[in-house]
Order: sequence, then C-alpha cells, then structure tokens
Amino acid sequence: MSAKPSLRVVVAEDSAVIRAGIVEILADRGHEVPAAVGDAASLIEAVAEHHPDLALIDVRMPPTYTDEGLRAALTLRDDQPDFPVLIFSQYVETRLLVELFGRHGSQGAAGIGYLLKDRVGNVADFMDALSRVAAGGTALDPEVIAELIGAGGRARALDNLTAREREVLSLMAEGRSNAAIASSLVVSERAIEKHISSIFLKLDLLPSGTDHRRVLAVLEYLRL
Amino acid sequence: MVASAPFTRRSWRELLYALVSFPLGVFGVAFVMATLFFGTLLSVILVGLVLLASSTLAVRRLGALNRDIVRRLLDEDVPPPPPFRPGPGVVGWVRSGVTDRPGWRARGYLVVKFPLALAGFIAVIALRIGSLWLFLAPAQWAANVGTETLQSHGVAQHYIINFGSFYFDTWQRTLLLMGIGVVGWWLAPWVLRAILYLDRHLLADLLGRTSLPSRVRQLERARAGAVDDASARLRRLERDLHDGAQAELVGLVMKLGLAQEKLAHSEPHSLPEVAQARRLVDDAHDRANTALRQLRDLARGIHPPELEHGLESALGTLAARSPLPARATVTTTERPSPAIEEIVYFCAAELVANAAKHSGGSAVAIELTQDGDLLQLSVADDGIGGAAIAGSGLSGLAERLSTVDGRLKVTSPLGGPTVLAVEIPAKP
Repeated sequence: MSAKPSLRVVVAEDSAVIRAGIVEILADRGHEVPAAVGDAASLIEAVAEHHPDLALIDVRMPPTYTDEGLRAALTLRDDQPDFPVLIFSQYVETRLLVELFGRHGSQGAAGIGYLLKDRVGNVADFMDALSRVAAGGTALDPEVIAELIGAGGRARALDNLTAREREVLSLMAEGRSNAAIASSLVVSERAIEKHISSIFLKLDLLPSGTDHRRVLAVLEYLRL
Repeated sequence: MVASAPFTRRSWRELLYALVSFPLGVFGVAFVMATLFFGTLLSVILVGLVLLASSTLAVRRLGALNRDIVRRLLDEDVPPPPPFRPGPGVVGWVRSGVTDRPGWRARGYLVVKFPLALAGFIAVIALRIGSLWLFLAPAQWAANVGTETLQSHGVAQHYIINFGSFYFDTWQRTLLLMGIGVVGWWLAPWVLRAILYLDRHLLADLLGRTSLPSRVRQLERARAGAVDDASARLRRLERDLHDGAQAELVGLVMKLGLAQEKLAHSEPHSLPEVAQARRLVDDAHDRANTALRQLRDLARGIHPPELEHGLESALGTLAARSPLPARATVTTTERPSPAIEEIVYFCAAELVANAAKHSGGSAVAIELTQDGDLLQLSVADDGIGGAAIAGSGLSGLAERLSTVDGRLKVTSPLGGPTVLAVEIPAKP
C-alpha cells in the first residue's frame, strides 16, 4: 500500500473539523494537499490554480447547504471530463448517483467516487477508493450498493443469484477489480471470473472490460 | 304569561333600556360622525390621525358602556373584545389606534344603534304613553279634560279624537278607545322586544369578541404559523446536528481510524500492551461509527435531508429505497411550504413502509398531484387489501395530518387493491 504514488488532492469541505481530519489522513499517507477550502467557488478556483490529481468534495456546502458540491463537481468535469472527483455526503442520496453517473455516456463513471462520510473514518477503505478514482476507476460506497440491491425495482431479479454471486455483484458495483474482489473474498481470481460471467448471464447483461463500465452496467440494471 | 307581558319585570327593564338608549344613541352617532369627519379632515396635518386613534379609545369606552347597560338591564352578558394593544412609540400607538378592529366595529355599532334607539324610543313613547292616554279616554271624556269641542247644529259637542269624520264623542265610543289603549299597551313590549332583538344581535356581533368566522381564520393563521415555526425549528436542529455533533463524530472516527492504522502497522506486534491498545481503539472506532449512524438516523427522522431538493427528488429517492418495487410520479406545479413538504414526505414514507410490510403486494405506486390549493398524495399497492385506519399506524398518520387540515382516505377492499389517498392544503 505504501508503494502507491503520492497524489495532489484539493479538499472541499465546509466543516473545519472534518476538513482538518481529512487533511491529516492524506498527509499521513504521503499525499499532498495544495488547498483545502470550505465552499464551491473556492474549490473551482483552487482546482484551476493547482491542477490537482483529484478533488475531494462534500455535497452540502454553503451558501444553501443543498448540493453545491455536486454542482461544482459536475462543472469541473464539464471542463475536463476525466477529472477525478470523489464526492462524499452524510446520507445515501440516489439522486446524486443519477446526476453523477448519468452524464457523458458510458465514460461517465470513469474517475468518479461516491462515499459516505462515515467511510472516511475507515482509512484503508478511504485510501483504496481515493487511489481507484485517481486512476480513472470508480468507487461506490458499499452502503449505497446495499440500498440499491435491497430496494425494489428490477433488483427483485437478483433473487436468482446465489449468495456468493450477490457478494461479488456488490463488490463489482463498488468499482472493484477482479483481483480486489478475489482478495476480499479470499478466493482465486479465476473463481471470481466464473461468478461474474454467471451473474452477467443471469441478469442478461453484456460483459464489458473496464471496471467502471461494469459498474455502469450494474447500476443501470439496478434502475438508476 | 302573554297577557301579563306588559307588566313583567322584563318589560319594564326593556322600557328603561329603550329610554336610556335614546340619548346614548344620539350621543354615540354624533361622536362617531364628528371624530370621523374631523379626523379625516385633519389627517393631512397628522393631528387627525391622533384624533382618530384617541377616538378609538373613546368608542371602545362607549362600547363598554353599552355592554354594561345591556348586561344590567337585559341580562345579556357579551364578552368584551381583546383589550387595545398599542404598538411601540407614538407612531405605533397611532397606527394601532387607527387600525384597531374592535374600535371600528364599535363605531359600526354606534352608527347603527342610532336608528334602533330612535325606533325603540318612539315605540315606547307612542305605544306606552299613547295607549295610556287612550285607556284614560272615558275618564277624560267624562271629566271633560283634554277634549276638543265640535260645533255642530249649534250644539257644542266635545270629543276625544276623530278619524276623518268619525268622532269619538259618546262615552260608548270612548270605551272603544279604551279598548284600543289596552291592546296598544299589551302590544308595546312586543314591538320593543322586536327592536331590542336586533339591537342585541348587533351588539353581540359588533361589540363582542370577533365574530366566529374571523376568529376561525385568526386561529388558522396562528396554527399555520405554529406549524411553520415548528418545522423551521426542526430544520435548524437538523442543520445544527449536521454541523456540530455529526461533524465532530466524523472527525473522531477519522482520528480513531488513523490510530487504528498506526497500531496495525506498529512493531513489534507481539507486545501485549500494543495488542490491548489495538483492541481498545478498534472497539472505540466501532462505537463511534455506531453513534454516528444512530445520530444520522435521528437527524433523518427530524428532517429528511432528501427534502432539500423538493418532493419530486425526495419521493424518487424514497421509491428507489423501497423494499417493494415502487414508482413515484410527481406533477405538482409549485413547491408547497417546507412544513407541508415534510408532512407529505413522512406520509409517503409511512404508507410505502406499510405497504411493504403488510400488503403482500408486488408493487406500489406513489403519486403526488395538485388540484388548485390541494395536494393529493396517493399510495397504491396491489396487495391483499383489508387495511383500515383504526388500530393501525395509520391512525397516528391521520392525527398528524389533521394538524394541517389534511385527510386520509383508505380504500382497501378484502383482496385488494389498497389505495391510500391523502389530501393536504398546499398552504398550512
């Protein structure tokens, strides 16, 4: 893990306590934080000024505390479609997912992460998600996936999946690679591949190569 | 009873009331007209406004005097309007004086009172005194007092009264007059009573508390204010939790997470103190996470953050999260007040959860439409039916709805489908 490259991260979070905590964790992991700001306008300025590798953005920020962070992230990605953003919020908001992943076709999920704030306290998960997003992958909070899978809609068809296949599906939806899924479930990568093709067959999905395309396929299946 | 009407205590008191009312009525209308006239005339130099405001206090006094007399003489207790509450400063005093509703209502009473007082006075004078005079006609005729004299055929004939060429000039005829007097005397209290009936009603309407419909409007406004206020307070509370305790806890969880990582990578692993510290930190991290989750659920119950973006988005999220496949359709034209949005959202959440738990159905449809000022929420499932308001979680919902004049209607025949229809005024 220590071999991961050092990243330059701009942090946008209005709560001073959380901002300081995030900066501390990032610094501890050898990442550089050229700017840590408290609102959306400063975030856009800071990104223009420092050209960071990634922006870490809170959804609720001043002045209206609704979705300034999300708007700013979408603005940043309009300027630079593959700019990695990791969004975090206090609650699971499915609407956020639609807005985040609904753009730019299948490339939309590249370099996007959505975590719950609680997750930031789990340093290993947080750092894992951060580096995945910075590398152009996808990171979705497990709790978000759990809600989607637990919800109605076409998720009912998931009843056909075996317990292990559902586990694999969840990890896949989080944006993890085959290797990561294999190590997390302590099975071989070959076994994971078999599970995945079985899942795609059962759900009638087209197999696709990159992890973020897979995420989109699964999310789309879950009726987002 | 009817026959003795003219001689009852009540009739005498009514008579007294009519006599007292007359000068009071004349003074009242004169006072109101004069103050209004000069007040309006002089309002260009502002003195008029002060005059109008002061006259408000005076007409309230006159109103109180009228209420007092009615209470003493007619046994009718009219509750007084709320006391005059002047605004701060001279300007505030003048403004509240000029705009004082009970004051204007009292003026209205005093103006209308005048013709009534006049009518009452005439009724008393004409009927009572006149009847008495007629009753005494035979005596007058006999004593030759108060009679006119008619010269006819050279004979002087005295008479009491004449209708055209009909002269009451014999004692039998004066007995007829006496009869008319008796009837008049007996009639007098009833005529007066009819006039006082109007007076009492006007008095109760104009000098009493605000009339019922406007009092209801007042209460509705007050309740809407209270509902909005409570909802704003809850939103503030949720914001405070989010900015305060929740942020602190996230900070704490992060620190503990970092400490956890440090301990996990510290050497040597084998030291029992390190192992113990690791367990402690792990435990603390777990607990802090649990506390954070609980706090989050609590905040969500206080004010659902989904509502920040309106009902369409919130109900969409609700449908996406529903364990029973759900679809939300929202076709409202404008955002209702936050308090109403909150109630609509909680209703929908409760009804969808109910459908998932009890209906045994396979899908639920959430629909929110607007018909003028009325929001209509319908939550329909294709389950087994048989839902009722009584004795279920629905009664609590119905109660909550009633605070904003909302209604809950259940259509749930055995075998289904169940449709729960909620109607809420868009403005509280």
